[in-house]
Amino acid sequence: MTEQWGFYFDAEKCIGCHACTVACRVRNDVEADGPKWRRIVHAENGTFPDYEQVSVSIACMHCEDPPCRTVCPTGAIEKRNEDGIVVVNQDKCIGCHYCAWSCPYGAPKFDDNNKMQKCHLCLGEGGGDGYGSPPKAKEEDGGTKPACVDNCVGGALKAGPMDELTKEVTDSAVNQATQRKGNIIIEAGGPTVTFESESD
Amino acid sequence: MSETDANDGGVRRRTLLKAGGAAAAVGLTGVGINAVGEEAEAASDESGRETVHGNCWICRASCGQEVTVADGKAIDLTGVDGHPKASAGEGREGTLCSKGMGQLNKTYNPNRIREPHIREDGELRAASWDEAIEFAAQRLEEFAEEHGPEKFLRYQGYPLGKHPWHDLVFKNLYGAPIKVGRKTTCHGPFSDSWAWMSGYGREWPDWQNSEYIIAWGRNVMECFRGQWEPKGVLDAKERNDATVVCIDPRYTKTAEVADQWIPIKPRTDGALALAMANVIIEEGLYDEEFIGNYTHGFESYKEAVADKTPEWAAEITDVDADVIRDIAIGFAEAAPSSVAFPWTGIAYQSNGFKNAQNIQALNGLVGNIDSKGGTRQWTAGFGLDDPHEKQGIDVPANYEDQPTPDYDDYPFQRHVRDLSHNLVPKAVERGDIKGFVNNWSQPPKSGNTRAWFEALEEMDLVITVDAFWTGVSKRADVVFPGASQLEQPFLQTGGDGSYSTNGWVTGSKPAIEPVGNCRRDYQVYKALAEEMGWGEYFPWETGEEYYDSQLEAIGLSFDELDEKSYEIVADFEYRQYEDGGFDTENGLFNFDLDAKPEYKALADDIGVSTAPAWHPPDDDLFGETTNEEYPLLFTDLMVEQFSRGHCQALSQSLEAYAQRFGHEDEDYRGNYLHINPKDAKARGIEDGDWVKVQSADDEIELMANLWEGIRPGWVGTENGFGVGSAQPDEEGANSMLLNKERHVEPTTGMTARNHPVEIERLGGEPR
Repeated sequence: MTEQWGFYFDAEKCIGCHACTVACRVRNDVEADGPKWRRIVHAENGTFPDYEQVSVSIACMHCEDPPCRTVCPTGAIEKRNEDGIVVVNQDKCIGCHYCAWSCPYGAPKFDDNNKMQKCHLCLGEGGGDGYGSPPKAKEEDGGTKPACVDNCVGGALKAGPMDELTKEVTDSAVNQATQRKGNIIIEAGGPTVTFESESD
Repeated sequence: MSETDANDGGVRRRTLLKAGGAAAAVGLTGVGINAVGEEAEAASDESGRETVHGNCWICRASCGQEVTVADGKAIDLTGVDGHPKASAGEGREGTLCSKGMGQLNKTYNPNRIREPHIREDGELRAASWDEAIEFAAQRLEEFAEEHGPEKFLRYQGYPLGKHPWHDLVFKNLYGAPIKVGRKTTCHGPFSDSWAWMSGYGREWPDWQNSEYIIAWGRNVMECFRGQWEPKGVLDAKERNDATVVCIDPRYTKTAEVADQWIPIKPRTDGALALAMANVIIEEGLYDEEFIGNYTHGFESYKEAVADKTPEWAAEITDVDADVIRDIAIGFAEAAPSSVAFPWTGIAYQSNGFKNAQNIQALNGLVGNIDSKGGTRQWTAGFGLDDPHEKQGIDVPANYEDQPTPDYDDYPFQRHVRDLSHNLVPKAVERGDIKGFVNNWSQPPKSGNTRAWFEALEEMDLVITVDAFWTGVSKRADVVFPGASQLEQPFLQTGGDGSYSTNGWVTGSKPAIEPVGNCRRDYQVYKALAEEMGWGEYFPWETGEEYYDSQLEAIGLSFDELDEKSYEIVADFEYRQYEDGGFDTENGLFNFDLDAKPEYKALADDIGVSTAPAWHPPDDDLFGETTNEEYPLLFTDLMVEQFSRGHCQALSQSLEAYAQRFGHEDEDYRGNYLHINPKDAKARGIEDGDWVKVQSADDEIELMANLWEGIRPGWVGTENGFGVGSAQPDEEGANSMLLNKERHVEPTTGMTARNHPVEIERLGGEPR
């Protein structure tokens, strides 16, 4: 693969405000009651008064070896060679939901036509498939940031080529990231969150 | 705008792109309205898009917006980098919050009022602007003849920016002298105590330079006055290793980022503040130099806290005595780069004024007033021109000679010329108020709801400028459909922002044309003034021209400002009081308010001390508390998604809110009763159950959200929902149904929002 794009998330800087989830809908033209490509989990722990919460912003993590692709019976899901972004060819999608069951992040969602859609790192416009869109350019080459990153209040979310993201973060975050199949770097000191698959 | 646009309920980008060619052929007049010269053209790419500026006004913070406009439609938003409100300062990224991101959802909302309406034969009907303006003018004239303009109440919620046009027409020209003071619905207890103690009512923390932050009854990470506030707190943590303490009976997003969450027993904050003062004085950690040179009343303060030990407060507040000592010492040692900042959590209390005074006194005690990293006294450091004065137009003050009613039997009214919100129905009943003009506000959601609804029915004339059908607009005689923020020009100045020592100005032209038959504020007031024979006071064609004239004072044109979005204008220093003192009666910072004649008279009358003092919430003066019949205390809460009451019609915000509390899978899109599982279990209530909140006066019904993050014995809900709200089906509960005339804070007349209640599980589905 020429390049692998991914996300960076720092729970210390996430204020759980949902600007990212609404920005995702606005940029990609998803109705309020439409599929949630990005969501926030307000994970909680303990009982009053020894109680704490942590907010985690989650979307498709564009896995190194996407389980959704493995289970897709029609080959509608692709991992693009040029930027590693996982996209879906909606013409091939038969709406069987296998991808939703296999995804650890609950990323695949379905529209009214039962076609899979999800985060495509803001490739092109609408739809959520990203199929056939040009490669994700680096910001300095004129590429835009995903809407969620663009509107993250605390700077908790970043996106970009993984090798560039890893330059800015702690070693332990990088170690953790390399052990994951998903392309997400979670800053050290962040939460241990178990992602549970969910379907629409 | 074309007819197609007028009927377009919600812009959908895909539809728009597909229809691109056809739309162009129709010839949208809104295209490139902001195209001023080459710069704007340069910002437009091949797709015909351009990026223009705006200022977000969903919570009236004025965060600088970058708006993407294509074919006359706004299709995307983000914040302006470096903007004093939207960013953490120079070179820093600008963002918008989830409410701000909901602005497209507001502008293109299918439920928006798109035509003027007038009441005829008891029914509201759509009318042309000419008809509506003529109708309003005639009714206003008849009203003045019959009742006198002094009986016409002004109620202003969200006029865009600081434009004076609403007051120009109704206060200066029509001569209506009374308005409802915002201080009685939002911030009276802390803004009045501050104003009387330090001469400035709305100070602001220098967050990003602080080393010790106490967010006291304030959820700064969610309920902010601009994105710079949460960004500033995060900066303080990262750059200064600042300690953040959150004092709140509920676990908020501020508690999430705080080093320490102190779930204090509600309404006991004043006791905690006094005990902290006791520690600071005992340990000799107070600022002798500041106290000696710039303050009044330290002796009586000292006396008041002499026996208020942490052990004394621990019993009252349920905060461990060692914790009280620790935060007192931490706060004092970090001074003057520390700040204890109260907000609505304190203001909503029946004993809120004294509690706020006690908290504010702490800032004086350690000398962090107007200091780097402390609490700043606001100043813009510059002024704008008065366009009327420049044109030689003498604006009358017709309100000045009007008689105002006497409410001596309500002590708090003595020092407030404006009416307390909860007293309006009484004023209507007494015949002192017979009509009102409302601007982007929903009074029945701010207190005393049922009486307000009756008062609205009773009034002879109700005029409103609004965007949605609400408890007010549905009952109005004239409804002017106001332009939303993206459709309006904007100008605002300030000092409260991410530039700690600079004044700034921010402004923007309209990003798009108003949808439907909605009109910009300036055009509404100009048309009404012309119809009433006051056209000479509105000689400018547009609001932009008016702003342009104002900006001449700083040598900037409105065009230039729009292009830049913001401009840093003035420098001002920390510790401005060193040069000329405080803007108080005696020029000093007052621990004891005996120097404020109005307050002294009131305090003497109701038998409270003028010095900091502890007043429990359950004495005769400060109102009700829990008992066997009503064992839980209920209050109003705010969250990021809805920090202002009129945003509730926005489906994107409602969705984010439902997600936030894990109820997105339910059909229900109302508010939740947050209740500790312990209290819920005792009542057989499970998460998602439909429950009734019963007070001695009234009841509401809504959905339960079981939550370990809320103190047992205390329950609450987000305000702004239910009957009277902007949500078309009025889903959820209007918490202000529990509020009655007597539920006010006795010093400031502020709506008190704590009620003893019992909760009962109901069968059936949420309504």
